[in-house]
Amino acid sequence: MQSARSIKNVKKCVLAGGLLSAAFIPCIAAAALGEPEASVQSDLAELHGSIKVAEHANYRLHEIQLPSGTLVHEFTGPDGKVFAVAWSGRTMPNLRQTLGRYFDSYVTAAQANRTSRHHLQINQTDLVVHASGHMRAFSGVAYLPPAVPSGVTIGELR
Amino acid sequence: MVGTALMVGTALIGTAARTWRFGLCAALCLAALSCGGGGSGGTAAPAGTSGSSPAVANVASVVVDAGPAGTSDVNTLFATVTVCVPGSTTNCQTIDHIQVDTASYGLRILAPVLTLSLPVQTMTNGDSLLECTQFVGAYSWGPVALADLQISGETAKSVPVQVIGDPSFATVPAACSGTGMEEDTVAAFGANGILGIGPFAQDCGPYCVSTVDNGDYYACSSTQCQPTATASLASQVPNPVSVFATDNNGVIIQLPSVAAQGAATVTGSLIFGIDTQANNKSGSQSVLTLDSFANFTTAFAGQSLTQSFLDTGSNGLFFNDSSLAKCTAANFTDFYCPAGTQTLTAVLQGQSAVSANVSFSVGDAQTLGANDPSLVAFPTLAGSYPGTTASFDWGLPFYFDRTVYMAIENATTSVGTGPYVAF
Repeated sequence: MQSARSIKNVKKCVLAGGLLSAAFIPCIAAAALGEPEASVQSDLAELHGSIKVAEHANYRLHEIQLPSGTLVHEFTGPDGKVFAVAWSGRTMPNLRQTLGRYFDSYVTAAQANRTSRHHLQINQTDLVVHASGHMRAFSGVAYLPPAVPSGVTIGELR
Repeated sequence: MVGTALMVGTALIGTAARTWRFGLCAALCLAALSCGGGGSGGTAAPAGTSGSSPAVANVASVVVDAGPAGTSDVNTLFATVTVCVPGSTTNCQTIDHIQVDTASYGLRILAPVLTLSLPVQTMTNGDSLLECTQFVGAYSWGPVALADLQISGETAKSVPVQVIGDPSFATVPAACSGTGMEEDTVAAFGANGILGIGPFAQDCGPYCVSTVDNGDYYACSSTQCQPTATASLASQVPNPVSVFATDNNGVIIQLPSVAAQGAATVTGSLIFGIDTQANNKSGSQSVLTLDSFANFTTAFAGQSLTQSFLDTGSNGLFFNDSSLAKCTAANFTDFYCPAGTQTLTAVLQGQSAVSANVSFSVGDAQTLGANDPSLVAFPTLAGSYPGTTASFDWGLPFYFDRTVYMAIENATTSVGTGPYVAF
């Protein structure tokens, strides 16, 4: 695992570590889930976080630490796209940023599926969100089932 | 999914397809044009209390009933609170149907039901103090105002309380609105407010005094909002119990047993203080000390669920048990629907070696109350928990037929120091 570095040092949307695709990818404003790996950097900037990147057998894990201390984990697969976003910490991250185009369907499904202020399960064919916790301790994961690489277990996505 | 829920709810609410959802009412209200923002709940005398309502100064009557007009939740525990403009004994309002929640901290009132004009806390530069209160899946935004507070005979002066959905502060920062759906109306919230009386003294604590970008607090001028640290712990929204003049070290919640088929009303007691009066003595209960997140461990079905919690704010028992059949109806997919009521056992263990055996029952959620829409309290309602944490959420059914103690952090009682739960 590489050492943490601040977004202030990230001048370009450069992928860290061994690259799956091109060395330089244009910065994009779109957020992460379902987007190319470069979008992790826009999340990093928007969330004012610092980042570590770690290689795993079937995915790359980008760990963004927010100023609030909350950790956001963005998982990218061999296709170079973010297939899952997990979070844990005392406050919720900005899911509109990290879920990107899936945020609206998350909110819509949350309204229909919520059974408690302290946990939520959304199980759709295209989007799964499991979230839980209570004031001062939240955690959750959102992933795109069709995009989860083979060999990755859902339990790893945290 | 939403369309289905809306149609089912509109046509069949209270019948076979009754739903146990939060948030559904927002759709129902549009259809029924019956939710004017909770007006009926605003100034009414304490509702749901009966002639047997205890008159003891440290005992508040609490009730499980159908909730404010336009809401449709079940197993929701409510209290009545009185708030006054600080320093006034006449400019006051008694508000019923404030949800009692042991997994949050602080009193929060929905702006539409509040008829008082409470002063908003200001920063030294004149900015207003706002809060983004986060629950799983939703947020509530509004100013932190000051109120004199009375619940039963307990009082506290100039208590920071959040006014949720105040139209004077309608612009929500993106970092807040991005955390989930908005719960700034009575219909969306399912209550006229929430009374967070969990085992911490503030909703954030020292962290929000030392950290500007804390995710909770914002300083807002007339043109913009910026994240802010709070001036002190005292300016944060506190667990009101912790700032009571007396009986401020914790609470006891006492609810009666509820028939398996359900009940239309359940009335119980919220007793303030532990070992401070003749009526709140500790007994021989198991004392489970809590970790820094107010969690304990539940051993259940071969699992060690280290992030378990007691929560009057959850309407069922939520845990994972692959041997229990899940419901099949669209509105019930998180709930269990075993063919017959199942009786199960778990062992609850705190940070110390003390443990307690708990027996509980799981019924068929789809049939609970199916033939009687007046029923809103169900002791066997249970469902699954998201796989993200090792948790057992002991929701309101746990409290039926029990006396449950909850001591606040750093507070002492005759049997220990909080945070702990005991039953």
